[in-house]
Amino acid sequence: MPEALLHVPEDLGRRLAARILPASERVRLSAYALQDAGLGTDAFGTRKEALAAAYALGYLLHRYYFRVRSTGHDAIPTRGAAVLAGNHSGVLPFDAMMVATDVFRNTWPPRLVRYMVDYFVYRVPYLGVFFRGVGQVPGTRANFDGLVREGHVVGVFPEGAAALGKPAHRRYELYPFSHGHVELAARHGVPVVPFGLVGAEEQQHMIANLAPLAKLLRLPYVPVTTTFPWLGPLGLLPKPVRYFIEYGAPITIDRAVLSSVRVREREVERVRTAVRDLIRRGLAARDAAAQGRS
Amino acid sequence: MTDDDRDHTDHDLRPTPLSVLVTGVHRRLGPEFVTRLLERDDVARVLAADQGPCPVALHGLDPTRFSYVPADLRKRRAVDNLFLAEFVREDPIDTVVHLAFQGNPLGYDLKGHEFNIHATRHLLDASLRHRVGKFIFLSSDAVYKLGPRTDYRVREDAELNLDPKAHPILRDTLDAEFLCRAKMDSATCEVMVLRPSGVFGGGVISGINLLFESDPPLLPVGFDPMINPTNKDRLVCDLLLAAFLHGKGVYNVAGPRVGPISEFLAERRIPLRRVPGPLLRPLNKLQRALGKTRYHAGFNPGRLYYSLVLDDSRFTAAFRRKAARVFPDPNAPCRAVLADVPLGTQETS
Repeated sequence: MPEALLHVPEDLGRRLAARILPASERVRLSAYALQDAGLGTDAFGTRKEALAAAYALGYLLHRYYFRVRSTGHDAIPTRGAAVLAGNHSGVLPFDAMMVATDVFRNTWPPRLVRYMVDYFVYRVPYLGVFFRGVGQVPGTRANFDGLVREGHVVGVFPEGAAALGKPAHRRYELYPFSHGHVELAARHGVPVVPFGLVGAEEQQHMIANLAPLAKLLRLPYVPVTTTFPWLGPLGLLPKPVRYFIEYGAPITIDRAVLSSVRVREREVERVRTAVRDLIRRGLAARDAAAQGRS
Repeated sequence: MTDDDRDHTDHDLRPTPLSVLVTGVHRRLGPEFVTRLLERDDVARVLAADQGPCPVALHGLDPTRFSYVPADLRKRRAVDNLFLAEFVREDPIDTVVHLAFQGNPLGYDLKGHEFNIHATRHLLDASLRHRVGKFIFLSSDAVYKLGPRTDYRVREDAELNLDPKAHPILRDTLDAEFLCRAKMDSATCEVMVLRPSGVFGGGVISGINLLFESDPPLLPVGFDPMINPTNKDRLVCDLLLAAFLHGKGVYNVAGPRVGPISEFLAERRIPLRRVPGPLLRPLNKLQRALGKTRYHAGFNPGRLYYSLVLDDSRFTAAFRRKAARVFPDPNAPCRAVLADVPLGTQETS
């Protein structure tokens, strides 16, 4: 089995970046400082070549496919750790990719969002290596602690992976938020930056979840959509809907969450409310765009 | 150096000269460690013990300071006799470094189990009875549970592999560790367990080293775990630090560099072969039958799928940062080996 399949070869990442990215974006890519742990990766396994290839693809999707419009980037700290928390949807996690690309494109020096990823990804050949190569880590407490200690922006979807398979009738309805991100943010004294993303909910229409098959394959869900599995793997491609991403003001979490469940619930609700408000703003921005007002 | 620092220095270093019992000198690490000990003026005597005759690498050492005793460590009396030996009558043993562990999955049987468990138990009991000041057991990183949930850096308090279906040697390692941990509250003896990451070095029986010595190393398709292997020289220096400095508990010890296993192979220009995951173990078995490898893919099956990077920051803070106290000569080999470790502020004053 060729080794090239496992790693994005050095020249492929560079070639893709050279071919796809404009000069300004290539400068951005080279400005990203990777802390080499000895053999060309950082301690989390991030590889600059994999990042270059992923960013080139992300840039294409961000600019030409999903035509992302976003506001509020000032809320993302230019240095130091932060937790980015928002809504999740769309069957396949293109929303996560677009938020990461958006943050990378709109911060200087560029910041890489490191998501807390579901474990199943790391059981799948190639997929786990790819996710690790682009800086995404399994969602464990120790990984979260490590990322925050090293000053990274950590992306979380507190609704969990199940929200990806949200049925159409629950569109833009937030699932209950998990509490971990709030607790960990408080422990490390880092802000939570909420974001609301509009568009991903329309990219795929989930009809059903083949739960027994999902259990067999140890996946969070196996979707049946209007196009999948009828059109084969192509049916998983999202529709080219426009994304609207709104970042809200950073939320400082009350340290009392570490000692009181009631305070923790209150703080989680604060984040959830902020995300809900940002989704409303995104929906309003989309309506305005549809009516030609922006 | 301030008074505070001097007190601190005195508090950190164990009283010397040391009289050291090293078991398991048939391991590649053993002779290296014994030789390094005997290079030091602050080591009075080294008594080495193992099954069978004295290893060739230990021939010709100063007989006034070094002696080898063949001993069946499974037997309590044989172990006790080591502490009562004529050779150590004037300088009673005050440090035990227990390297004797049957770690080869091939040929493991009840004798191997008895050896692993009884040797540890008897040595530990004898150490406590004979007022030994320090007992060091060299364990393994295989004790950690591996999987997609493994942390990017594994700390000493991470989940252990307590799976009853795990390989018996792995269970022995855990049992031996637990024996040591049960005695860690001893007021007279500092009991230490060191868990090294994979160890590189010619002929070293370490999973990662055996894999790298395979012809060719087989890895599963689509996986490339992160590792931070150490090497024989570094581990010997870590053992010396553990022997000369005060401290007890469980510590990870690892190499300074972290990277994917394929990069470590590429760096050594070792061509690897990728095989589909389900075929890995049968092909490894075939390789072993053909004499192309000594690596046992069934010993710790997750090892080639999931990352295992040890977090040895505790050991670095407690021991490596004080390396200048144990190796005051800036040209000492261990100072070069541990050059990646920033020394504590009191070391440079």
